[in-house]
Amino acid sequence: MSDISAEAPAQSAKPTVFFDGVSSRRRQVTLTLGDALDILEEGGTPVRWAYAEIRRADSPAGILRLASTSAPPLARLEIRDIAIAAEIVARCLRLDEHLTTRRGVAKIVGWSVAAAVSIVCVVLFGVPLAADRLAPLVPKPIERRIGDASEVQVKTIFGRSTCSDPAGQAAFSKLVNRLRDAAGLDDDSMTAGVLPTSVPNAFALPGGKVFLLKGLLDKAENPDELAGILAHELGHLKHHDNMRGLIYNGGTSFLIGLLFGDVTGSSAVIFASRSVVEASYSREAETNADTFAIDIMHALGRSPKPAAELMFRITGKEGGGLTSILASHPLTEDRLARMTREDRPASGPPLLTDTEWQALKGICGSGKI
Amino acid sequence: MNDLQWAPIGPPQPIPPPLPPARVDFSGDRSEFRKLVTKGAALELVTFGFYRFWLVTDIRRHLWSNTSIDGDAAEYTGRAKELLVGFLFALAILVPIYLAYFLVGIEFERWKGFASTPLFISFYAFGQFAIYRARRYRLTRTVWRGVRFWMDGSGWAYSFRAMLWGLLVFLTLGLALPWREASLERYKMQHTHFGDLQGDFEGDGWTFFKRGWWLWLLTPIAIIIFPLAPFVYAEFKAREWRWWLDGIRIGGVSLSSSLPHNAFYGLYWKVIGWWTLLSTLFGLYIAGATMLVVKLSGLSPEQAFGPDHPAKSIPLLVAMVIGYFALALAVNIVMRVYLQRDLWVKVLETVEVHDIAAATDVRASGELASALGEGFADGLDVAGF
Repeated sequence: MSDISAEAPAQSAKPTVFFDGVSSRRRQVTLTLGDALDILEEGGTPVRWAYAEIRRADSPAGILRLASTSAPPLARLEIRDIAIAAEIVARCLRLDEHLTTRRGVAKIVGWSVAAAVSIVCVVLFGVPLAADRLAPLVPKPIERRIGDASEVQVKTIFGRSTCSDPAGQAAFSKLVNRLRDAAGLDDDSMTAGVLPTSVPNAFALPGGKVFLLKGLLDKAENPDELAGILAHELGHLKHHDNMRGLIYNGGTSFLIGLLFGDVTGSSAVIFASRSVVEASYSREAETNADTFAIDIMHALGRSPKPAAELMFRITGKEGGGLTSILASHPLTEDRLARMTREDRPASGPPLLTDTEWQALKGICGSGKI
Repeated sequence: MNDLQWAPIGPPQPIPPPLPPARVDFSGDRSEFRKLVTKGAALELVTFGFYRFWLVTDIRRHLWSNTSIDGDAAEYTGRAKELLVGFLFALAILVPIYLAYFLVGIEFERWKGFASTPLFISFYAFGQFAIYRARRYRLTRTVWRGVRFWMDGSGWAYSFRAMLWGLLVFLTLGLALPWREASLERYKMQHTHFGDLQGDFEGDGWTFFKRGWWLWLLTPIAIIIFPLAPFVYAEFKAREWRWWLDGIRIGGVSLSSSLPHNAFYGLYWKVIGWWTLLSTLFGLYIAGATMLVVKLSGLSPEQAFGPDHPAKSIPLLVAMVIGYFALALAVNIVMRVYLQRDLWVKVLETVEVHDIAAATDVRASGELASALGEGFADGLDVAGF
């Protein structure tokens, strides 16, 4: 079946151009639409493309650009005449087979949603579970190494060395050791120190290092206040909260980053969703550490309430605003209420004598920070 | 066979007069592109970002196939699935590296506080490698007249150069930037090929420096007087583009550009205008949603967001997330339309191609490169041209 009508417009003002995919030579060709598409260049070798093998390639408007699955991959036929283009399109039934269809897009959406759901499930259930199970299994030497690394950082931030007044250090060790024995922590390498900075805080590092910052010591009015807070930090150590947090933070940030990838501005979303998820997680850890502190103080025959009062003196009332969802610690007023409920009259001896307490207060020397 | 036989009309001439430079045209429809990126951005949100591979591919296909040089349009033959596979492979390689980075970092920190910061530099080096390999991927998917571009050279060699030059730029407070760009561009272009033609880059750092040194002086002022910053950046970008285009050579073919120094003022201010408008709308939306939540819950604002009613702020949080996504979507569309499509068109319409006849009969060669580099670039969040 030879189509003469197709040949006539091929010589029209709009030339048909063929690139053979081997050279960049621009070949003006005539087309014959027979059993297959014959592409003929004057003085060149004729090329024959079967209709079933012809595929559409990207082109600007007004040009039909074709490729063939059996020709060199970059061979292109460019048809600028609308009539011939329409004729060829009608014959090539598999012209658009390789393009992404509506169904293809739906498939992408479906798989992405499935992947997202699975990642969210892993973040919500898998990672916390893994962190809970793995944290106690982390070998002590590794935990200690991580602790050493963070200790160096902490000292870079809060001052080069710990306060070293011998009497104060002895009092501090006594306080920590009493708490440690009551807590049943058998970590022989556990060390503790007071750092000379005005920030009112205390923290425990992986591997068993407890640090008290001078700011908190200055605000404390008696040993019980300090003891409650140190007991809380020991609770974190006992529960391996540092390692849990490390595994948990690393896991979630990696997975959420993977999920959102490169959507512009996604870092804000990642930050927001992470802080919500993590805050609730760490709130739980803080509440558990509080429980632990309450138990220890009871075991020592002291009340946990002074510690909460110290916290309240430092932070003031916290509630109000959206931050309560994002807060990493339980609100101080809630903690105060809880520890007040657990208030019992002292039944044990004081944790430190007055002299020891005065020595501890003066551990960093005469008031200079 | 005469090389000029394809010339449209007229008998072959023994001594062809110097041909006028060939034009580069862009024939893409702006509203079509807008629809493309709108749909793409929406799908990107629905698919949690996974659609980005398809969107990026569609954008490139649109831009490439509507760009014609000497009357013949280019074509982008890369496909989204390649990018997805490249990304997954890159991930499989990056995850152990991140882990090793973490462990080595701990050892460094133990030795001295924040001593691991220089390790971050290794990621910069990896980023430069990714930029080179991503460029190679894009180039091998760029086809003109049935012949593809391709690249050889080594991503690590490039990364090494980029690092050394980066150090020099850092030490000279940015003054060495023109020479850095010239050197890196020379490396990239000398390893760029179109079929059997080899590329080159003839721009030199000194020319670029002479065109833009006063911008370097202005930068500290622009940082303080904020509204000046877009002007300074637009001036810098326009000068950089023009210098870059003027330096490009492929075989005997050379490019030149007449891009005016103020070409990008409008684009940047339009983006800033849209950004301001959208942020204002977002702010109003948040305020409205807050008021609505307070009104519906029948509580005073303090009660509604107080510690006793954490559940009450959840509807507001949901409203905020929805609003944020809408904002991200709109900003995405604006950025792509102005900073990709419009910028592309603005630059292209100033480009002239000289001695295009040298590319008349180029023999195809070069192998396809894998999309691993794009995967790395995606995983490390780096971009390059």
